[in-house]
Amino acid sequence: MQRLVSISILGLLIFVGLSAQTYDAIESTYESANAQYNAGNFAQAAQLYEQLLDSADFGDEQAYIYYNLGNAYFRVNELGKSILNYERCLRLQPGNKDARYNLEFAQSKIIDNIDQGNTFFLSQWITTLRNTQTYRIWMWLSIGLFILCLVSLLVFLFTRPIALRKTGFHIAWLAFLFSLCSLALATAAYNHRNDKNEAIVMQGIVNVKSSPDRSGTDLFTLHEGTKVRVSDRVGEWVEIRVGDNIGWLREDNIEYIVH
Amino acid sequence: MKRITYIFLFLCIVLGAFADDVSFRASAPSQVVVGTPFQLTYTVNQRAKDLRAPEFEGFDVLAGPYTSQSSSTQFINGTRTSTFTLTYTYTLMAQNVGTFTLPPATITVSHNTYNSNGLKITVLPEDEKPDTQQQGSAGGNSQAGRTSQASGSKDDLFIRTIVSKTNVYEQECITLSYKLYTLVDVAQFTNNTKIPEFMGFVKQEVDLGNIQTNLEHYNGRNYQTATLFETQLYPQKSGDIKIEPASFEAIVRVRNQSQVRSIFDDFFDTYSNVSRQLVAPGVTIHVKSLPSGRPQGFSAGVGSFTMNSSISATELSTNEAVTLKITVSGTGNMKMLKTPQVEWPEGFETYDPKLTNNTRNSAGGLTGSKTFEYLAIPRASGTYTIPAVSYSYFDPQAGAYKTLSTPPYTLQIKKGADDNNAVVSNYVNKEDIRQLGSDIRHIYTGEIKQSSQDKVKFGSWIFWMLYIIPLLLTIIIIVVLRKRIRDNADIRKVKYRKANKEAQRRLRQAKKMMTEQNEKGFYEEIERALWNYLSDKLSIPTAELTKDNISQLLLERGIDQNTIDELNTLLRNAEFARYAPSQNNTTMQQMYEQTAELINKIN
Repeated sequence: MQRLVSISILGLLIFVGLSAQTYDAIESTYESANAQYNAGNFAQAAQLYEQLLDSADFGDEQAYIYYNLGNAYFRVNELGKSILNYERCLRLQPGNKDARYNLEFAQSKIIDNIDQGNTFFLSQWITTLRNTQTYRIWMWLSIGLFILCLVSLLVFLFTRPIALRKTGFHIAWLAFLFSLCSLALATAAYNHRNDKNEAIVMQGIVNVKSSPDRSGTDLFTLHEGTKVRVSDRVGEWVEIRVGDNIGWLREDNIEYIVH
Repeated sequence: MKRITYIFLFLCIVLGAFADDVSFRASAPSQVVVGTPFQLTYTVNQRAKDLRAPEFEGFDVLAGPYTSQSSSTQFINGTRTSTFTLTYTYTLMAQNVGTFTLPPATITVSHNTYNSNGLKITVLPEDEKPDTQQQGSAGGNSQAGRTSQASGSKDDLFIRTIVSKTNVYEQECITLSYKLYTLVDVAQFTNNTKIPEFMGFVKQEVDLGNIQTNLEHYNGRNYQTATLFETQLYPQKSGDIKIEPASFEAIVRVRNQSQVRSIFDDFFDTYSNVSRQLVAPGVTIHVKSLPSGRPQGFSAGVGSFTMNSSISATELSTNEAVTLKITVSGTGNMKMLKTPQVEWPEGFETYDPKLTNNTRNSAGGLTGSKTFEYLAIPRASGTYTIPAVSYSYFDPQAGAYKTLSTPPYTLQIKKGADDNNAVVSNYVNKEDIRQLGSDIRHIYTGEIKQSSQDKVKFGSWIFWMLYIIPLLLTIIIIVVLRKRIRDNADIRKVKYRKANKEAQRRLRQAKKMMTEQNEKGFYEEIERALWNYLSDKLSIPTAELTKDNISQLLLERGIDQNTIDELNTLLRNAEFARYAPSQNNTTMQQMYEQTAELINKIN
């Protein structure tokens, strides 16, 4: 019995040691990538960050690596890859101000000047609000507000002083309303995070065709870094929408933000 | 003694003067053909003797040296100039193919020995045996010979397109030249020359000066060659760039061989000029684009460069000018070089840099230097650093980008005498944070934790349970405690509970009136306290209350008869006292106490 325990303890120690070691290796890769970046060797830094992304999954913290990778690509003038990684970072951390700033900065260097998205102020406002938090925070907020609503309802029902009852009543309906709003935002944020239809143009210049084949008429040109929405797929070709323009291009010219 | 010295000095000067004038040169063609005699001459411009020629290794001396002299004297505007030339001529013949160096010869001019220049002679092989066509011509078929000479044989007269490189990087210099190869006598070139446009290149024509002819062995024949046109080309785009063929029109002197042979033909040949169209073939240049990963501050330079910098002063006062000079020198596309960007610190007034070019053509492109002079005037005192200026270029030899950089300069600026800032009043110009430039923000360097996977997935059943469970709990609580809710909701119950409190309030009011000796008010208050209390307690509106139904209802509620009687007495007394006042104070006190006691009892 004692022997069994000691063996299992040894096994546990080895396991912990191994995982610690791999974690240390990851840590050192991360640090050397940062060091390369600081020393101005952006290409090497980018390579190390890519390696880091391949080797481990950090959950939402992955966003920081995407962000750094975006910076490294930006420094070596890889605009498309840079924007792609900023977008990926923001999918995981919509509230990351640095990434949003850098994304806007990088987008200012894109050649295509396309009015992206809806210009109606309310939908813009909602999008901005949605982007302040991750979907998980909205989710917990909604649950919390729902519980608050129920507690306030109980307060309203079971207390005697009129003032307390009134407060309970108002808090209950307000909390219910906000809970619904949060739930809506959480759904929106969750859907945006997993939106597989947005992609970035990777090719320097690409002609968008009117039909999914080579002989199609060239409708318009897109440049590296422009964000497109994929709406249909035929073989190697995808139908994309940019602003009000619709056309077809080859799938290998773009890279999906969420794959 | 002194005289001797003077004479010596004089002699020295005279000899020196002579020495300066002596020129002793050797000359010979730089290319000769094996087995063909050629002449080597030594020329001296003073009377000289004792020529010691070197060993002509590899050459046979066929004749010589022959000497010849010539002298001339000129009077121009009363000034006499005389020239004298003494020439020694050797006739030599090369034995072997190769390159030979003739060491200098020596000669003595008035007891001084002078050396000539050395010579380098390339010996070309003999022509291969002329082909059959030419033999035919020699055999007397003059018709054939004529065509061959006049317009035919491409081997006699052609132009080659010579390109230094065909595989280059963008912006890398290549030299293209059109070289004439001829065996016939070319009199001249007409203006009917078509040089291609060199689309896709920036060209820099090379000034050839006088056209020089050389002997060159090519394809087994020795040709007279001359470079007709030379240009440097800098490709501007990547890919295969085609250079179109060029065409020249040459006037060739051809001997007329008349059909009727006369006796004079052998002595007096007549010549006629024939024009020949010559085409230099086109070439294709494979241009590679510069590799990616172009560093910051790329100068657009392709070649090899060095950079130097200097600054006029490092310690100065405000409003004194300072000049930073950056010199980029090397070989490559000097014309395309961008101005290095100097980041002057804030507080410096800067001007556009002055550019000085000092370049000339060379094999690898333009060679020389470009000097940029930056003038700046510091307007504020302090210590400032001009950061290192980095300047990178592409080295096609190494196939990589290279970066040059100047050292950073630190400037100490003292307050000058005429510093405007020295006389500032208390008024200070406030400045907002000024945006100097924009750039992306720095990378995240904090720790990255391996965050655990979230247990509650959005939209999963656990997620919905988080809503449903509290909701169910609430419903259970409501169902279990519904009586309390009804109690809370029932106004009569509320009134019932509050009856005692209300009665107490009225009693306090009555007591106040008692102390004020307000008898009427007191009794009214007592009566109202009792009636309202009973109304609330028995849940009957005050209007429906009578003494009779009060007694009955109280009995039903299990209040004993004594208390009911007491209450009735009290009510009657109070009513009576209201309409028949002048009761004394003790009665009021007594009634107050009785009422309080009764309310307590019923409660």
